[in-house]
Amino acid sequence: MKLASTAILTVAAAGMLAAAGPPEKLPYVYTHWKQFTVADGLPNDHIFAVKVDGPRVWIGTENGLAMLDKRTGKIKTWTEKDGLPWRVVTGIAVHPKTGDVWLALFGGGLARLSGGRFDHWHQLNSGLVNDVVYAVAIENDNVWAATTAGASRYNTVTGEWTIFTEKNSPMEEIWNYGVNYADGKVHLAVWGSGILEYDIATGHWKEYLDPDKEMEIDLYRDDGIVHVITTGVSYIDGAMWVSTYFGASRYDGRHWRGYYNQDSGVPSDFMNNIKARSGNEAWFCTDKGLGAIMDFPTNTWVAYTRDPKKNTGIAVVSRDKQVLETVDTGLSVPHNFIISADVDGNDVWIGTSKGLAWGIGTDYYPGLRERGGAQ
Amino acid sequence: MRLPFALLAACVVFAQQKPPAEDPPELKALIDSDTAEVLRRINAVGPYEIPDLLLKKEQNYANTPADIEPYGAVKPYKEFFLLQMEYAGPGRTIPEPGPDLKTVKIGFIGPIMSTVSVATGGKSHEEALGVKMLQGARLAIEQANARGGYLRRKIPFEMVTVNDNGLWGASGNEIINMAYKDKVWAILGTIDGANSHIAIRVALKAEIVMLNTGDTDPTFIETNIPWVMRVIGDDRQQSYLLMDYIIRKMNYQRIGIIRSSNRYGRFGVREVMDTARRLQRPVLLEMAYKVGGEDYSLQLERLKAANLDCVIHWGDARESAIILNQMRKMGMNQPYFASDRTVSPEFTDLAGKNADGVMCGYPWNPDRQDPKLDEFRAAFRKRFGQEAETYAAHGYDGMNLLIWATQVAGLNRAKIRDILAYRSKPWPGVTGDIPFSAALDDLGEVFLARRENGAWKYHSREDLKVPRGFIPARDRVDRSTGTIVPKP
Repeated sequence: MKLASTAILTVAAAGMLAAAGPPEKLPYVYTHWKQFTVADGLPNDHIFAVKVDGPRVWIGTENGLAMLDKRTGKIKTWTEKDGLPWRVVTGIAVHPKTGDVWLALFGGGLARLSGGRFDHWHQLNSGLVNDVVYAVAIENDNVWAATTAGASRYNTVTGEWTIFTEKNSPMEEIWNYGVNYADGKVHLAVWGSGILEYDIATGHWKEYLDPDKEMEIDLYRDDGIVHVITTGVSYIDGAMWVSTYFGASRYDGRHWRGYYNQDSGVPSDFMNNIKARSGNEAWFCTDKGLGAIMDFPTNTWVAYTRDPKKNTGIAVVSRDKQVLETVDTGLSVPHNFIISADVDGNDVWIGTSKGLAWGIGTDYYPGLRERGGAQ
Repeated sequence: MRLPFALLAACVVFAQQKPPAEDPPELKALIDSDTAEVLRRINAVGPYEIPDLLLKKEQNYANTPADIEPYGAVKPYKEFFLLQMEYAGPGRTIPEPGPDLKTVKIGFIGPIMSTVSVATGGKSHEEALGVKMLQGARLAIEQANARGGYLRRKIPFEMVTVNDNGLWGASGNEIINMAYKDKVWAILGTIDGANSHIAIRVALKAEIVMLNTGDTDPTFIETNIPWVMRVIGDDRQQSYLLMDYIIRKMNYQRIGIIRSSNRYGRFGVREVMDTARRLQRPVLLEMAYKVGGEDYSLQLERLKAANLDCVIHWGDARESAIILNQMRKMGMNQPYFASDRTVSPEFTDLAGKNADGVMCGYPWNPDRQDPKLDEFRAAFRKRFGQEAETYAAHGYDGMNLLIWATQVAGLNRAKIRDILAYRSKPWPGVTGDIPFSAALDDLGEVFLARRENGAWKYHSREDLKVPRGFIPARDRVDRSTGTIVPKP
């Protein structure tokens, strides 16, 4: 109802909904948002990481860890006083078998929260290659850590560590930023070295680089990743989504597609992170808002931003660079500097530099649909 | 009963809204009208706003001539670094610390102790440079304190100094410590290319300025980080001038390279290689060597067999001298060009008379007549009993720039960044004027150092009449039509 009453259709310029044409198919727009900040019990508003685990939402901040129980709305926190080994939590992964929560600590190594107790691995007591850990992922019995000096893999059953650097992998640079596991493949987003793909079954590496090999240009948009300074990677449905500080890319194993603010609805090319929901839908965390490509085949996006003067926001639906509609969402993301995201069924969770957002998608639908008066 | 409460509340509001104490005259003298306007705007924004400030916008990246731009005949789909990055986070509204602050800390990271370098795969070789950089930075801090320290609070600046240990990416840990434990307001450093990259990745997430005065790796700045800036002419700028001299002026046809097998050598020659190829003089042979050796005959035999017109070396001073001496001993009398690290007493001591005629790119002109430079040299000599060199001078400039920004912006990391990033005029350093590009890189003039009669002489492009390629003022090819856009 909110959408129907407040939507501002701005399609006139394109004549998209010309009287004679069929009704426009549009993506789902999140118009029901909740926000969480220090005032609600978070230890800090700078949300580096968010990870959904059933009814629990784990939140990594610049000064502590938090867990929000969606059922009760209660927030439990851990800081260094509570045994958290280091205050800055930049990545979170939950082991599906054990329920252990693994934490990437920004300058503090790797931690595990299990049974209410923190265990701590760092450069001096383990095979963790560096204490500046940006991201963590679970692959079978292994925990992968993306560090600033290479990637480390810890086997939680055998206790064996493996270090991956330029010495044993095609890392042109060793500055790992993101790690993702899905469908038998570990993907590393490596700053200066693009994306590296590790096939678990074969132990082979594959590298994805910017084919033009130049830092100051992207010669062709759709010839590979748009830039080697990658920040995140998400692999799902056989599609690899990549975020960089220069734009975004998608690769389906055969075709590449690049995305920039100049040719799509993403609010900015400076992307802190990426979370894909499917091969057709991915959420990009940019410094000027949240950009979600909702339908890959038609390049249809929804960009969520907050009004800088008051706590309301808008969602701009666009196809390529053409705005299809602008929706007043009321409450939206708490800040436009978006750092992290996770998908939770029909919902989405968004970490920003000033609070956490919960986008509730009760009537969410994938792709596009003829909406009529309301979605 | 309600009136007193209202009065009390009004008093509280008044007290909270009391205008800040007026800036002391010494501080006012540091703030020109442009800076005052930047200050007014960044102080006016709330946590959800981005200040309305003019972003630097350029038509051409790094003053690159059209004929050496990558894929020069084709307009790229996207050109980066032409529009200045903004910081869009809420950091400007983080309140300043309370009155119990005793010092204003600024971080320094550099290779000041013997350590291990991942880049070289062994012992680091940059301590001599790092110590000089430290001395320059320290002198700037001491002088600022002699002038009253942090003027708004009349407390001293304090330099938090850490060694840049390349082992296992330790520079990242050091930046974490400085940002979160020492709580410095900005950081200066470092020299090693790999360690500098590691450091700026941390600075970006921690949201703290990282100002570099010693890493000439072009890719350092090509990362789109709004928190990073550099105040030394990089290898790209030096290479452009050096290659213009070698190819456009001297018309050498057969060019060979010998370089260190580390990040400095690998990235340093990239622009040399690209420029030579794009000017249709592809480098005939590129030989790499392991740092720390004594015998380079393996590489030199191959270079000799290539019958080169000139040899370019990219590496440290010691290796440069050894290689030059071995070349001359082998009867290789080609002109010898090198990167700026060759301009050092270590090189000339080892090379002796062979050094004459050697020409190097150089990030500044130490012979320039400037009272500021003279004063700096005198003060440096008095303080350390040594002569200031490149790394000292740039460290001094960089630290003075950070001190100025901190004085002006106040104790807020985001505002310190803004004051630096939106500076409208070049910084008048002892190394010369330092103008920031849109990417916040130093686009100041670079020079050629030539060893003449036992001394280094520094020559500008104009001095030597080195031709320059056409630098287009706008895109030179319209992709849709494929036509060349005429020079405006």
